[in-house]
Amino acid sequence: MDSVAPKIIEILRKHMKNPDKDISLETKLEDLEIESLDLAMIVFDIEDSFGVEIPYNANEEVQDFKTVGSVVDRVTSLLKEAGKAGAAA
Amino acid sequence: MTKRVDSQRVVVTGMGVVTPIGQTVPEFWSSIKAGKSGVSPLGGFPLDDLKILIAAQIKNFDPKARLKHFQRDRIITLADRYSWFAAAAADEAVKMSGLEVPFADPYRAACIVGSGAGGLVTYETAYRDLFIHNKRATHPLTLLRIIGSSASAHVGIEYGVKGPTFATCSACSTATHAIGIARDYIRHGLVDVAIAGASESVINYGTMKAWQALHVLSPEGCFPFSKRRNGTVLGEGSGLLVLESLEHAKRRGATILAELCGYGMASDSKDMVKPTVEGPAYAMRMALEDAGLSPGDIDYLNAHGTATTDNDINETRAIKEVFGNGAANLAISSTKSMHGHPLGAGGGIEAAVCIKAMQDQWAPPTIGLDEADPECDLDYVPNVGRDLKIGYTMSNSFAFGGLNAVIVLGPAPN
Repeated sequence: MDSVAPKIIEILRKHMKNPDKDISLETKLEDLEIESLDLAMIVFDIEDSFGVEIPYNANEEVQDFKTVGSVVDRVTSLLKEAGKAGAAA
Repeated sequence: MTKRVDSQRVVVTGMGVVTPIGQTVPEFWSSIKAGKSGVSPLGGFPLDDLKILIAAQIKNFDPKARLKHFQRDRIITLADRYSWFAAAAADEAVKMSGLEVPFADPYRAACIVGSGAGGLVTYETAYRDLFIHNKRATHPLTLLRIIGSSASAHVGIEYGVKGPTFATCSACSTATHAIGIARDYIRHGLVDVAIAGASESVINYGTMKAWQALHVLSPEGCFPFSKRRNGTVLGEGSGLLVLESLEHAKRRGATILAELCGYGMASDSKDMVKPTVEGPAYAMRMALEDAGLSPGDIDYLNAHGTATTDNDINETRAIKEVFGNGAANLAISSTKSMHGHPLGAGGGIEAAVCIKAMQDQWAPPTIGLDEADPECDLDYVPNVGRDLKIGYTMSNSFAFGGLNAVIVLGPAPN
């Protein structure tokens, strides 16, 4: 895991009903009982923490939000595009 | 669906309040009995250039502690403060009613929880974030917190209400309209049970500025009907009732607190801030007629009594118009002198006052009434409450825009 992953997992735990569950990069968000409203708050927290804007629409099925790893990948690539090299803001 | 009937009597089996002088009915009532004032120095946000520096704010309300047992509504603690108050009042009212939750027959239940303004504290926070702090977005829950129907939705979700669920909005008459509509739904057989009333929490910098600009707030205190009155004092809170058809309440062996006998409403249709005598008088007469009572049957009247110059004189005139010579013998009080003016929530809190007054056979006082305005010359139970034989009570709610709503509450039917 790079430096982005632990921060993302910390944000996910903040919004989970049972924050003690095991989380790996392969874990599916639906297995963490994260629902659409939680996802809106998670996206908001990630954007705030990393200083990026995530193109996310609650009306669309988004591959980027299937697993923990896919979220980490998406944020990492957004940080690269923005030239921020993965440091949490 | 059950066939509609048009003759159901409607009773109150639960009530709940959150106020600056008590966050449950027993606490609230003991403050009322002690003649306690909930008005205090304004606080909780930067006061900057505000000139009005008092309000009746609720201190020490902790949603995480008060609402932690909520089962079905999992985001209640993330909601706006006005929804927290509604949830806490509903919790007390539903527990008092003894109804099992979630409601067994969910489509036969209504949840009508109004709000004069919705989540204004959230609104201001969001706008400060955007316009002052240059944040790129509002918090994701901002919209859900703000909408004026969110308190009704939150309460409806928690108790599994699947029947009519919405908010009323008529400024200071909001709760009374909600209670009246719920009463009619039960009377006409649309539902058996309803949670009804209103919730309000608007005290922030922007709201204070807006009220200040209208020049109707007192810098000193809330002194209804007094010669020294010089405006109202903003309050906050919630007052909700559990209403049921008499038949439904009897069938489940519920303790009946009171009967909701009459409901009247009328609009002045004249002016946004100058009330007429005609509108309030019509609403009071309509409530009496609806209850099948004459003015002489009312023993205690909880006045709208805001302590503004216009309301108190006008309300006095309207009471005289309806009660005639009997007005002089009627015990009237404005409990806003103690709990402040909770705007839309007023009628819900004051309905609870009427029910407690009947239970205790005791008329609550209007505090701060050392010298009455010569034009307010009725018996406003000055400063100290009194033992009184109380059969029926009336609660007045009048609002900006001339929107009047009145209910009559009576003893539990035998």
